[in-house]
Amino acid sequence: MKINSDAGIIKKTLSVCPVCLKRIDADIVRCGDEYFMDKRCDVHGAFSTVVWRGNNTDFKIWDQYTVPQEMHIPECPTGCGLCFGHRQKTCCALVEITHRCNLQCPICFAEASGRGATEPSLDELYKIFKNLVSGGNTFVQLSGGEPTVRDDLPDIIAAAKEAGCDTIQLNSNGIRLGADPDFTKKLKKAGLSFVFMQFDGTDDAIYKKLRGAKLFDAKCAAIRVCGKNLLGITLVPTIVPRVNDFNIGSIIKFGLKHSPSVRGVHFQPISYFGRYPNTPSNRDRITLPEILCAIERQTKGDFAIHDFVSSACDHPRCGFHGDFAVLPEMQVMKLTQQRVSSCCDTPDAHIRNRNFVARRWKRPDETDENTDMDMGIDMGIEMDYRDMNTFLNRVKTHGFTISAMAFQDAYNLDIERLRQCSLHVAHDGKIVPFCAQYLTAAVL
Amino acid sequence: MKNIKCARCNEYLVLKKTVFDYMGRSFTHEVPCCPKCGKVFIPPELAMGRMAEVEEQLEDK
Repeated sequence: MKINSDAGIIKKTLSVCPVCLKRIDADIVRCGDEYFMDKRCDVHGAFSTVVWRGNNTDFKIWDQYTVPQEMHIPECPTGCGLCFGHRQKTCCALVEITHRCNLQCPICFAEASGRGATEPSLDELYKIFKNLVSGGNTFVQLSGGEPTVRDDLPDIIAAAKEAGCDTIQLNSNGIRLGADPDFTKKLKKAGLSFVFMQFDGTDDAIYKKLRGAKLFDAKCAAIRVCGKNLLGITLVPTIVPRVNDFNIGSIIKFGLKHSPSVRGVHFQPISYFGRYPNTPSNRDRITLPEILCAIERQTKGDFAIHDFVSSACDHPRCGFHGDFAVLPEMQVMKLTQQRVSSCCDTPDAHIRNRNFVARRWKRPDETDENTDMDMGIDMGIEMDYRDMNTFLNRVKTHGFTISAMAFQDAYNLDIERLRQCSLHVAHDGKIVPFCAQYLTAAVL
Repeated sequence: MKNIKCARCNEYLVLKKTVFDYMGRSFTHEVPCCPKCGKVFIPPELAMGRMAEVEEQLEDK
């Protein structure tokens, strides 16, 4: 692969060879309005992967981050388990409860399959939850595979609750949630906080291409059933160039239309780890600033780039978020203020992030106060959102967050970013940052 | 507000819809206010209740 030899080096970092995963030096270089990670392995040659495109969001302004002086942690990332070199504590711990799945998607970071494999028993899961809670980690994501293939999922949620987890997120494709309302009701009753539902677009052609099946109706059914059970759903699209990058605005509008059942949209630009069909070229990648631009362009400016800020808890190049409240007639109240300073170096950043996330994505239980307010709107009474009570009520009931997280793969892994990660996976008794846990060597 | 008097004006406070500016937004709420000098009293339950909630909703993580 051609290295951008004429380009200016913006910063130096560490990465891995995508083929052998050996740690190697890497440069972030600028070439026009594009930024690349360039690196060379003695055995497998040179690699150049786009990491940032466009100048609407300036790389250098966005990338305000104090690089740790000591970058050379000997076993990072191959021998990973959180060590003294990691700069962020756990905001959220992911627990894989199964490798089974009721889909066989061409892309899957967890390489899940329809076939059975050993999976942790309820007792083993309880011990994992208990260990997490004893380490102060009370926010868990139940993931897989597809967690809803386990009939004992309500018991697993109850076990997490009993172990002391106060926020329990379910990562799901939504198929069973919509098709089996009794099951979904049991999940809510057991203590499930909210659902992150794979939602790649508003058109079945997208699902056919990305997931191998027409799933749009199944997604709508899941939203309906979760809505009835007051279970908040956040839509999680994997964005792939030329497959659904043109659908970003429609996904947001769909989410707004289904507020308050839908609590927001969490975009994930595609990363190439686990299972994916072909060696990716730079054409097959979409970067965070491109997603921001697409949001602004495809919503015709209803959501603008300056309505969003970079990740504060994780590395700023790992994601962004903007907070809103949905008003009647799908009008939007913007809440995010441009940050003067970041809290990412404060010792409690992971806890602030955890509380923030739970507050935004969990749907509040119905109260008389909420109902009264909704009735007022239904009767056509114009609400004054400057009134403190009205404002608070609406923000709580109809909060809507648009966020993104760019996972890293073997081609673009930046150890500077990895060391700031707060999304961790509980695996074999260790806590491992997400992108280290799922790092897979390139398929050549 | 029969039991709270303005220390300066010696007038009983009355409830008045008042505008608060915070983090670039304006909010209104009824708070005890001196009818003469216009100074308002923010009860602790409001400061630590609704106002703290507004702050929490607007402050970034």
